[in-house]
Amino acid sequence: MALGFLVLYTVYVNMGYIRFMQMPPYNVYLYDPEGTQIKKSSLVQIVPFMEVMNNALLTDANGVGLDASTKDVRVILYMGAEHIDRHRTDYALSLLHPSDSYTPTVIGTNTPEQKARKEITCELLFFELTAVGFLGIAAVLFKEKSMGVIRVHAILPLQRNLFLLSKLMVFVLSDLIFAVLLTLLNVGFSDGAAVLPAVLLQTAILSLMMTLVGLLCALLLKDFRQFTLAYLVMAIFAATPVFLSANTSVKFDRIGYHPFYQIYMKLKNAYFGETIPLFYYVGSAVAILSLFLIGQFAFHREIEKEG
Amino acid sequence: MRGLKYQLKNVLRDKFCLMTFLLPILIAAMLNFMGSIDMSSLGKLHFGVLKHDLSPQTVTWLERYGSVTFCETSMELTTAINEPSTNIIGVKANGATIETIIAGDELDIFQQAAATLPTLYQQRTDVAQAEVLILKRPDILKNVQGIFIPTMLIVAIFMSCTFNAMNIISEKEDGVAFVNEVLPMTPSQYILQKIAIGFLFGSLSAIVTACICFQLSWQNFGIMLALIVLSSFVAALIGLFIGQLSENLMIGVVYIKIVMLVFIVAPILHALIDMNELLTMICYLVPSQPSFEGIMALSSENTKTAMKDIGVLAIHCITWFILYVLISTRRKKQAI
Repeated sequence: MALGFLVLYTVYVNMGYIRFMQMPPYNVYLYDPEGTQIKKSSLVQIVPFMEVMNNALLTDANGVGLDASTKDVRVILYMGAEHIDRHRTDYALSLLHPSDSYTPTVIGTNTPEQKARKEITCELLFFELTAVGFLGIAAVLFKEKSMGVIRVHAILPLQRNLFLLSKLMVFVLSDLIFAVLLTLLNVGFSDGAAVLPAVLLQTAILSLMMTLVGLLCALLLKDFRQFTLAYLVMAIFAATPVFLSANTSVKFDRIGYHPFYQIYMKLKNAYFGETIPLFYYVGSAVAILSLFLIGQFAFHREIEKEG
Repeated sequence: MRGLKYQLKNVLRDKFCLMTFLLPILIAAMLNFMGSIDMSSLGKLHFGVLKHDLSPQTVTWLERYGSVTFCETSMELTTAINEPSTNIIGVKANGATIETIIAGDELDIFQQAAATLPTLYQQRTDVAQAEVLILKRPDILKNVQGIFIPTMLIVAIFMSCTFNAMNIISEKEDGVAFVNEVLPMTPSQYILQKIAIGFLFGSLSAIVTACICFQLSWQNFGIMLALIVLSSFVAALIGLFIGQLSENLMIGVVYIKIVMLVFIVAPILHALIDMNELLTMICYLVPSQPSFEGIMALSSENTKTAMKDIGVLAIHCITWFILYVLISTRRKKQAI
């Protein structure tokens, strides 16, 4: 199943997302029957008739029309958002009197495509670990529970922590392999390899947390049906605000207190090569240790219950 | 009728079904009463400036195009520009004019805006005199905002599907499905009872959600009701399909997730992207597409489109129903 999702994500990123995430500058159409606009920029598209311009604007709602058939140039555009409309108007008029070309100072290292690839890969990895993978982990653990694996462990002459540690190792390892493949296939080999160590560290943190939560759910909840309830609540209330706040300009009040937001942002920082403060690692270690101790307690209680 | 009473009793005992019924209503209430989402920021440019660097007039001029964030230090400004989730354009004073700073990973439209901003600044007094004709057209950004509520409604309608699928799967797991087979009940009675359960709860959930989110006239409310009823009916039928196809709860959950994803993604993509005729036709094969389009049309008072969508939904209802009857009759024959 994980392999299927890996293929699905890779196809989506390479065939769909990168194509969708393009936003060319506004087209500017000029109707100038007298040829009065001599200094116009090469970015302006000349239209022979007003009808042609009207049709162009109808299909290209972001475009701006300039009607130079009268003495003063008239700007025609379809209503969008107030601020953007003002900018579109001024931009279109500025193309009639272009100044020397100016290049803004660039301080970043990514191209728009690199950014889009890193962003979507980060989102998909987070989604896979918190939603799809988590559901898989819980499903496996519930199945084992119903098959009586815990009962078997109670009578085996093995250290009890081995059960928890073996589960953690298997799931974290599979998540790490998934993260490596997803990153290399979608971010690209050279870019992906450069950020991989930091990404793997964050993946391990998130994966450990999710596996422990899944394990706790499997130990504390009665059956898979009860788990699906908890999962539904978590998926909708926990993941949605994080995606909205982290990827768009939409901001929720006090989103910083949302633990998933912090984890997601650190994973994103890892993809973009930004430094992550030490106290975050300390906090994560404390959280993982606490979850492990709670899991250990719940596991021992379950074994005792089984007799 | 007595069968329906038993089905209702069975569903009301199921916490999962009750939860799926209440979830969209809860979220609709949250969006309506407690929502603190600032969507307005999506429709403007974002500028980052150093404190005490630009004159107040320049800042006011920048605010015509978007929001201005003040940074204490150059380091803070660099971090804000490089932040991947925003498209902040850094603006600094450069003698009598301004200069812009970008991260370089912004979409072309923002890079172009940064490249032309100093020219706009120089020409700021000339452009003020031009005549501007703004043509009316449904606000694209309002549509983006409006997408949240119809999506919520689609989720509510989709609950018919979850209801039925969960109901049938739990019957299978508990062995009630075998009991049903020997009960003196015809397949059509069974189908109708199952559809009625999902349909009733899905419609109810969607109607309550619609009442919370929309203030409609009586005529439009009638159209909305028709849209909800037809959509819930199709969703209930799809739930029956999922229920029949899933061997256990885990597989059922996976199917539901896939169907839910398709139900939500198809109309949203159709609303946001200009699609060609073939892709539009494919989208219409998903029943949530006409429902979504109808709800969006109603919110902008376009009853003609809403009526067309009711027609498409009616075709969906008939097709899915015939398909289900055909498949279950064939299965029954094979079993004998």
